[in-house]
Amino acid sequence: MTAPAKAGALVRLLLDRFPDLAAGLWTDEDTVEVTIEGERNVALLQVLRDDPELNFFFLADAAAVDYGPTERFEVVYHLYSDRHPAWLRVRARVNRADPHIPTLTDLWEGAMFHEREMFDMMGIVFDGNRDLRRIYMSPDYRSFPQRKDFLLPDDAADSSAAGVRPLERPETWDLTRLSDELAPGVVAHAEAEAEAKP
Amino acid sequence: MTSEVKIPDPLDLDLDEEARLRRVAGLPAAKTPAGEYAGFESVGLPERPPQTEREREVYTLEEGEMLVNMGPQHPSTHGVMRLVVKVRGEVVTDVDPVLGYLHRGIEKLCEEATYTTVLTYVDPMDYLSTMHNEHAPAIAFEKLFGVTAPPRAEYIRALVVELNRVFSHSLMMGFLALDMGGITPILYGFINRDEIVDMLSAISGQRMLFNFFRVGGVNWDTNDEFLSRLGTWRDHVLKNVEMSERVLTDNEVFRSRTIGMGTLSGRDAIALGVSGPNLRASGVPFDVRKAHPYSIYPELEFEVITQSGGDSNARYLQRIAEINQSIHLIDQIVDKMPHGAVQAQVPGIIRPKPGRAYAAIESPRGLYSVYAISDGGPNPYRFRMRDPSFISLQAIPKLMPGRLIADTMAVMASFDPVMGGVDK
Repeated sequence: MTAPAKAGALVRLLLDRFPDLAAGLWTDEDTVEVTIEGERNVALLQVLRDDPELNFFFLADAAAVDYGPTERFEVVYHLYSDRHPAWLRVRARVNRADPHIPTLTDLWEGAMFHEREMFDMMGIVFDGNRDLRRIYMSPDYRSFPQRKDFLLPDDAADSSAAGVRPLERPETWDLTRLSDELAPGVVAHAEAEAEAKP
Repeated sequence: MTSEVKIPDPLDLDLDEEARLRRVAGLPAAKTPAGEYAGFESVGLPERPPQTEREREVYTLEEGEMLVNMGPQHPSTHGVMRLVVKVRGEVVTDVDPVLGYLHRGIEKLCEEATYTTVLTYVDPMDYLSTMHNEHAPAIAFEKLFGVTAPPRAEYIRALVVELNRVFSHSLMMGFLALDMGGITPILYGFINRDEIVDMLSAISGQRMLFNFFRVGGVNWDTNDEFLSRLGTWRDHVLKNVEMSERVLTDNEVFRSRTIGMGTLSGRDAIALGVSGPNLRASGVPFDVRKAHPYSIYPELEFEVITQSGGDSNARYLQRIAEINQSIHLIDQIVDKMPHGAVQAQVPGIIRPKPGRAYAAIESPRGLYSVYAISDGGPNPYRFRMRDPSFISLQAIPKLMPGRLIADTMAVMASFDPVMGGVDK
C-alpha cells in the first residue's frame, strides 16, 4: 500500500511502534486509521499521547457507531498531533451484546462528556468512568436512541421506518446489562417501577 | 428573623416549623446531617438515589451548604441549560451542568436524510455560527463523494465563514458584558451583527439559518446587494469594533470582574478538550485553519494568535484579536477571489461509495468536526458532529469552586457556549 505523502511518516512510525496494527491500517488524504479491540484503547492511546515522536496530545473527537443488531459497536477516537499533518483515527471494536469498554477519562478528563453522550445515545458502558449518567435524555429514559434498531416514525410510505410507532422501543431496553455496582439507582428504580405496575 | 404569621401551605403535612418555613422560602430541606444524601426533591426532581459516584458527591450536602438551580430559563445561560450550583453562602463549592433541554436528535435525523438535506438540518445546531455548521459536513461529503468545489466557491465559502466569525465574536463581547450587568456593549454587538446578517441574507436568501452550502459548492454567486453591503460595512467596521472595545477593555469594573477570573492553564484546557479561542487564550497555538488547513486557508496569510492569561479577560482579548484577524482575512479573500462557477456538477441525490470521512473546521467556538460514514445509500449511515461548546462546558465545574455565584455566569459567558450546539 502506498500511503499519501502526508501520512507516510506517521504510518512508518506507527508500524515501527506497533507492528500488529498493520492488519487494520488504512489511510486517505489526511487521515490514518487503525482498528483495535476495545480493551486495548487505554494502553494504545496512552502511548500515542505520551510518546514524544507521536505526541497525539489532543482528543479531537470520540464517537460511537452502531453497525447493526447482528454486528458490533465501534468507539471511534480522532486524535490531533502537532508533529504529523494527518488526523489519527482509532476504531475500537465493542461487543454489541455486552458493550463494555475501558474509560478514557484518566487520560483526558474531557472524554467525560463524550462518554456520557455515547452511554446515553448508544448504551455503551465505560468501565471506570465515575459519572456515567445520561446527558441529553432524562434520567428515567430507558432506550438508546441512536442505535440502529431504534427507528424513527416516518410517514413516508416507502421509508424503512414506515408505520413504526414513535419514541421509546421497549425491545431495546435491557437493564440487566447495567450492573448493580455501576448503577444501583437505575436498576432499583426500574425494579420498583415494575413492582408498582399491576 | 422568623415571622410569626402562619402561611398556609397545602403541602405542609407534619413537617416541623423550621422545615415548613424553609419550604415556603423555597429552600431545600437543610436539616440533613453532615454527609447524608440530600435527595432530589429540593431541586425539583422526583426523589431517587444517585446513579453515579460523582452524582452522589454533588447532591450530598455538608453542614451549611445548599443547592441552587440556575436555569433552565435563566436569562444568561445562553439558551436552556440548568446549572445545579452547590453553595456555601455566596461561595460556590460545586457545579453540575444539566443538559438536554434543547436536544433535538439532529444526528439521528441526519441519518434519515439525504446528503443534501443534512446541510439544512445542521443549521439550527450552533445558531450563531450557521455557516460553520454547514462547512464541515460539506467538506466531509465532498471527501466521501470524491467531488471538489470550484475555486470561486471555496473563496465564497471562506468569505461567508469569516464574516460569520466576526459577528459571532462581536456578540460574545456583548453577552459577556451583559452577564456582568452592562447593557451598552450588546447593542454595539448587535449593530455589527445585523449589518453582517443583512449581508449574508442578501447572498443566501435567509436571515439566520442560511442553508447556503451545497455538496460541491455554494448555492449562489455573489450579487450586487451583497457586495455593496460588504463595501459599506468594511468602511466602518474597524471603527465599530474599536468603539465596542473602548467601552469594555479599559473599563475598571469589567477588568476587575474578568482578570484572574476562571483561569485555565493550557495543560488543563487540553485535558478538558477545550478548543478554539478559549484554548488559544490559554496559550496553546492550536487553530484548525493552520493545523489541518482546509478550504483556501493555505493560500491566505495569517498567524495563530494566542494570549498568555488563560482567564476571562484573555478570552475576551482573544476574541477582539480574532475579529481583526478575520477582517484582515476578508480583505485578502476579496482581493484574490477568482472568477468561475460556484457549483460542481453533482447529481440531485448523492450516493457516495461506502467509506468514511472526517472533516474538522475552526468554528468561532473551536474545533467543530463531522465524522460521516456512507454505506452506499442515499443517506449517511452514521453522521457524527463534535460540537466545541458542548465539550468546553466541562471546564465550568472545574473553574467555579471557590468563586462567587455572580461570577459563575460571567465565566461561563467568557467561554461563549451556545446551547443549540451543546444539546444538538
